Amino acid sequence: MGQPGCPTAGPRPRPCGIALFLLALIPLTVASSAKSPLGRDDERFDEELVVRPLSGDHVNTYFQFTTRWHFGHKDNLYHTQLTPRVIAELLQQFDVKELHIGLTQGLWRYETWGYPIVEATSGAEMWAWFSGDNNLTDSEVNSQWSQLANVFSGVLCASLNFVDKTNSISPRHLLRPQFMPAANRKNFVRYSALPREIVCTENLTPWKKLLPCGSASGFASLLNSGHVHNTKYHSLGLKVRTLCEDNSEDNCIVELTQTANLVYDLRLFEQSSSSSSNGDFSLRRLFGMGLNGYCELAESSKMYVQRNEQGERYQLVPPPSPENEEVRSTRGGHTAIYGVYDMHEQFKDHGERLFNVAWLAPKSENRRRNMVKPTPPPLTVHRYLLGHGQERGRIATEITNSHYDALPILVQEVIPWYVHGYLHTLSVRKKPQRVNEYGRQRIPFKLLHYKPGKQRELPSHLEIGFLLPGQTSALITIDVDYLLLKWLEYPPDANHGHYIGSALVSSQLPMGRNYTALPVEGYLFRDSFNATRPSYVLSLHTEALIVSLPTPDFSMPYNVICLACTVVALAFGPIHSVATKMIIVGKPTTTTPKNFIKKLLNKVFRRGGQPAAEGAGKGAGTGAGDGEESREGAAGDAPPGESELPGTGHLDDQPLLEDLEEND
Amino acid sequence: MDAKFFKLLLLGGVVRFYFSRTPLAAMIGNRVEFATPLNSHKRMQEGIFLLQSGIDPYQGDLVHETPLILSALSGLFQKYPHLLPAFYIILDVFTAALLYLMSRRFVRQKQEQQTTEQKHYAKDTAELQFSDLDKYDIPELVIVAYLFNPLTVMNCIGMTSTVISNLFLASFLYCLVKGLLLPCLLVLAFETVRSFYPIVLIAPLLLVFSHNSIRRGLVITLLFIASCLGVAYANFLVLNSWNFLDGTLGFIFYFRDLQPNIGLFWYFFTEMFEHFRTMFLITFQLNATVLYLLPLSIKLRKEPLLLATVLVALMTVFRAYPSLGDVGFYLALLPLWKRCWKFMAHGFVVFTFFLVTLSMMGALWHLWIYAGSANANFYFGATLAFSTGQIFLITDLLFAHVKREFCLFKGQKIWIDGVEARIVLK
Repeated sequence: MGQPGCPTAGPRPRPCGIALFLLALIPLTVASSAKSPLGRDDERFDEELVVRPLSGDHVNTYFQFTTRWHFGHKDNLYHTQLTPRVIAELLQQFDVKELHIGLTQGLWRYETWGYPIVEATSGAEMWAWFSGDNNLTDSEVNSQWSQLANVFSGVLCASLNFVDKTNSISPRHLLRPQFMPAANRKNFVRYSALPREIVCTENLTPWKKLLPCGSASGFASLLNSGHVHNTKYHSLGLKVRTLCEDNSEDNCIVELTQTANLVYDLRLFEQSSSSSSNGDFSLRRLFGMGLNGYCELAESSKMYVQRNEQGERYQLVPPPSPENEEVRSTRGGHTAIYGVYDMHEQFKDHGERLFNVAWLAPKSENRRRNMVKPTPPPLTVHRYLLGHGQERGRIATEITNSHYDALPILVQEVIPWYVHGYLHTLSVRKKPQRVNEYGRQRIPFKLLHYKPGKQRELPSHLEIGFLLPGQTSALITIDVDYLLLKWLEYPPDANHGHYIGSALVSSQLPMGRNYTALPVEGYLFRDSFNATRPSYVLSLHTEALIVSLPTPDFSMPYNVICLACTVVALAFGPIHSVATKMIIVGKPTTTTPKNFIKKLLNKVFRRGGQPAAEGAGKGAGTGAGDGEESREGAAGDAPPGESELPGTGHLDDQPLLEDLEEND
Repeated sequence: MDAKFFKLLLLGGVVRFYFSRTPLAAMIGNRVEFATPLNSHKRMQEGIFLLQSGIDPYQGDLVHETPLILSALSGLFQKYPHLLPAFYIILDVFTAALLYLMSRRFVRQKQEQQTTEQKHYAKDTAELQFSDLDKYDIPELVIVAYLFNPLTVMNCIGMTSTVISNLFLASFLYCLVKGLLLPCLLVLAFETVRSFYPIVLIAPLLLVFSHNSIRRGLVITLLFIASCLGVAYANFLVLNSWNFLDGTLGFIFYFRDLQPNIGLFWYFFTEMFEHFRTMFLITFQLNATVLYLLPLSIKLRKEPLLLATVLVALMTVFRAYPSLGDVGFYLALLPLWKRCWKFMAHGFVVFTFFLVTLSMMGALWHLWIYAGSANANFYFGATLAFSTGQIFLITDLLFAHVKREFCLFKGQKIWIDGVEARIVLK
């Protein structure tokens, strides 16, 4: 690693203090992965399934399919075998070195479930690292980024084509590369999240097609959309990274990791099935069918079942493979025990039988009471909106550190353009964990990066870093205004609200409690066994928010245009006449009666005669202004003289007399 | 008299100070009727904060104040935030004082003009002429109308930057009446670079200073352009970038922020079809600037101050981001035309319009944004009616002026064939 403190391109705002801070946060991307066991043109595929019972009657199943190909030079990418062709073409087309895509539905509950193996936020999320020679420019990366998003929009049938400059940012400090950036090259990173994206079957099917065996055999055959989408949380992930040895482009590995992270709620099973109600479950219950074998192309095909913590109370039928019955993984002072089922072993002798594992909970005791209390993870995050109304609000992000020591925290907020954030209102207040209210105590920033947003162009991008003392919560608040948009910019069902993507929180844990993520240099789940490191980089997602912006009335654009133009015309008319017309003195056409009602009647019936009368001083007009007038005149048999008094009907008797009097 | 002037100023300051310490101040600072994207205090704070943090404030689109103002006020905002209300109050009181001095001088000029023209006046026009008392009454009315108009008071306690605009406009008018060409040009150039629309005030300036000489007019126009460029360059030097032009003038012209305000633009461009947007944008901006400029300049060439009043008022009605503080400012200029009031026919209508629509705005805004039981049309209706009321007021003033001019020379009562004649525009 050339510069461990500076993975991102460009200057850092305040170098001295923050460099140390960053140094502490950034893991050493150890080069061990380049010293891979693969020879040239070597390619391997591994499938893994991890089942972890979680507290509160939840079960986490995690699928990981890893393809690793030592392709050597770029030209070899034309001959793909296990690696999907689209991934190989990706590396030829773009300067992308690392790509993450997550398609997620649901919310991962950190407090009760611990940390997931792979982090994701609700909706679609995507980030990529680009690295190229010094000709690579920022705008070129932008265009590559949107092309990349469009490619995967097609590959995964997701709305990633909506990734554009209005929702993409270039994270400065928070995202760290996992691909060993070369010292002499420029690195760019782009990040975007589409919280509105709804993940469904249409994404799962193309995702499975990227696997060497498809969904025909192996663990992927368990992923049936009907069951996957009944889970409380499901997240499809795709990660591509390239690892090149010794900074040379001729000796590279491409690694494709596809993950599916599911959380089942067992209570939902109990309600749906009438039979057992004691928390038993099995592969067949979870996925609708047993396992039909392993993928023939897979180097290894193993299932890991956690046996301690929440998994302790279950009895496994059949028990794990006898030879390596249990793997004991101690990582950062935290021990996890996994039972291992090797599918190659399981299917060695018995032929076509479906393989099933059942987790049997103890029958006798009251299981609710017997449940092991989950140890809460050291760092949890939440986010919510304050304020009411569609005018303004405040985004509050709460970070709780229940560890006894201070933790460095980095927070990245992407505030979409339809919400204005006011940086001067940004504050980080703290409180001891046991106190309920936040006081005035503030935490000073160690790092602040802000890029203001622009309407219809750029999101606001905020990254802050601070040190959160032990046993303390921090509340980050920023005031926002909700904007009124053009009527065509509202999505269908405008009153549903607009999403604000989740904030990313990153920290570095000194211990491995609840920590299950893969180490950076590893690529299989089993690489995380006993992977004790000085520190563990943790990244968490908060909840996404939904804000309701003020909405116009969508039904009356024409009316609004007409009315507003009318008011403009109201000014234009009089000003035009003041400016162009001359003042003249004319004889009054008529004197009006004093009485209001008579005045009104006068107005109504006089309408026709007025223009004629006005012009002639002598009052010798004809009074036949319009049809109504002449008809009335004929009916009343009145002589057509005295045109100032045209309304000769019997109704107008009174004004007629008065007029005559006054004219005299 | 002077003692009374100072007493009024003091009282105006005290009233503002009192209200600035009530919760009303924070509320007004957030009301869309007073705080627009251009003038809101919160955005000014944001701009100064960004400037201090070394982030270009014009990179985003929250800040639309010029860099000069931002950097000039940054010390005050950062170090003495508690003194800010007092600062705005002082600016506002200073504006009132300038208006007072301006109107005193204006009335004196009018009276001088009257003595020379006296012999041409008709017999029964004493009530249309400026009397001796007007020397005291009109300035007093002006200052009272500025200091105690709830609109200006609330504008001041809301700490919008309209207070600063009003100060610039008042000093422009003062210099105009006083005949100070260079300060006048500079103030106007500064305000033009800040908020674009005051560019129309070049017309009264030319009328006053060119003395009917085209060459002088040309020189003044060139001077104005030069001072605009100078001010822009001074702004450029603050951040060493021209981004601010798009952030201030560009933002006003293109009407990027659709936040509701009391003007005509917001809902119109919210509901506009995208392919007509440019056309209507240009139309509306022309309407707010040059459309009435030439005809009114020709018509009111003898009354530059009335021209300035009417242009300021029209600018307020038709500008992209008007606020009630702008309305309060031109309302304070109306007492200058006290001798026209006789012919103003719509006083009651306009007053009712103002009263009803302004009180409706608060209610309808609440119903739309907070209660969710009304929609945008309701609020739009109120702002539309308010604009209509303002337009009535302006056209009424114009008609009244034309009639007064006529009657002043021809007499108030003209008889034709024994019938009192009617005055009509033809």
